[in-house]
Amino acid sequence: MQHVRMASLLRQLTRTIRTPVVQARVCSNGMKFMSNTPVETKEAAETRPTVRKHNLAQKSQLKDFGRYAAECLPKFIQKVQITGTDELELLIVPEGILPVLQFLKDHHNAQFANLSDVTAIDVPSRQYRFEIVYNILSVRFNSRIRVKTYTDELTPIDSCCDIFAGANWYEREVWDMYGVFFANHPDLRRILTDYGFQGHPFRKDFPLSGYVELRYDDECKRVVAEPIELAQEFRRFELSAPWEQFPNFRNANAATEEVPLPKDEKK
Amino acid sequence: MSGAIKKTTGLTGLAVAINPHHTLGVLYGKILRVLQKMPEDAAYRRYTEQIIKERADVLSATSDVEQVEKKINCGQVEELIVQAENELLLSRKMLSWKPWEPLMKQAPASQWVWPPAK
Repeated sequence: MQHVRMASLLRQLTRTIRTPVVQARVCSNGMKFMSNTPVETKEAAETRPTVRKHNLAQKSQLKDFGRYAAECLPKFIQKVQITGTDELELLIVPEGILPVLQFLKDHHNAQFANLSDVTAIDVPSRQYRFEIVYNILSVRFNSRIRVKTYTDELTPIDSCCDIFAGANWYEREVWDMYGVFFANHPDLRRILTDYGFQGHPFRKDFPLSGYVELRYDDECKRVVAEPIELAQEFRRFELSAPWEQFPNFRNANAATEEVPLPKDEKK
Repeated sequence: MSGAIKKTTGLTGLAVAINPHHTLGVLYGKILRVLQKMPEDAAYRRYTEQIIKERADVLSATSDVEQVEKKINCGQVEELIVQAENELLLSRKMLSWKPWEPLMKQAPASQWVWPPAK
C-alpha cells in the first residue's frame, strides 16, 4: 500500500512541475545559474585542483588552426568545432578522409604525424549510422586533433593504412566491432573476437547475449557453438522516468562550440 | 659548416645529411614549382608558398647550417629536409585531389547533432 501511495505522490509532484508557472520559475532559476557562473569564475580564480582549467590561449590557437585547415581544404571540411574540453574536431565528408589526413600529416604547419586512435560510434537513428573518429597527435607542435567522418553499413570508407601504418589494427578493430568496411585495407580480418564469430558486438542492435553459445559437448569431445536459447521471452524495459532528472542543466552549455568558417561569412 | 663535423642527429633512423644546404634549396625549388600549377587563389597554395618562401629566403641569406636551423626554428636541418620532402609529396597529391574546390556535399541534417535526435 505504502509504495502505491508514494507513487501517486510522485505523480502529483511531476504534474505540478509540468505546470507552466513552476516550469517558468525553474527555467529562470536555471538561467540565473547559467548567467552567473562565468562571471564568478572570472572573479575568483579556480583553485580547486580537481576542476579542469581552460587554457584560453591554447583554445584560440586551436580555433585558428581549425579555420586554417578549413580554408586550405574547403572541398572536404564540413564543419569545425571545439568540444567542451577544448579539443578541436574537424567534421569531414567521407570521401575526403585521405586528403585531410595526408594534409594534417605532411603540411609544414600541421605535422600531425602520430595516429593515436581510430574508433567509431553507432547512432542507429541517423541516415549514416556510423561515425568514424581519428585522433591524431602532432609531436612537433604538441597538439591533438580529432577528425570525424560518417558512413553506413554498406558504404566502404577509404583505409588510411598508406598514410598511417598504425591504422592497420585500429581499422581491423572498427571492422570487427562495428562492421564498417575499409576499402584498400591490406588485411581486413577480425581482430578482437573469436574465429568464426558472427555479428559486430558494438552495434546498438547487437543483443547483449550474442547470437551463439559455446559449450563443451561430451559426445563430440569438443567445444560446439549453438544458437543461443534465451530463458525468458523478449521483454521491453521502459527506462525513462516520468520526471526530469537535471532541470538545472536543461539549458546547459552545448557539448560543442562551432567555429565559424570564413567562407560562410562571404557567401 | 663551422666547428666540428656533426656525427649524429640524436634521432633514431635519421642520418646526418651530407649536403643539407643544397638539398633543402632543391626541395624548396621543387615545391614552389609544383605550387605554380595550382590556381592562384587556392588557400593551400598561398599559405604553403608563404612558408616555403620564408624558409628559402632564410636559406639563401645564410650559408651556415646551424644559423639556418636557429632562424627557421623548426628542428634540425635533417628534420627540415624530411618536412620539405613530405610537403613536396603532399603538394603533388593535392594537384589531383583539388581541395580548393567548393564543398563536395553537405552532411545530412542530423548527422553532427549531439545528443542525437530520436
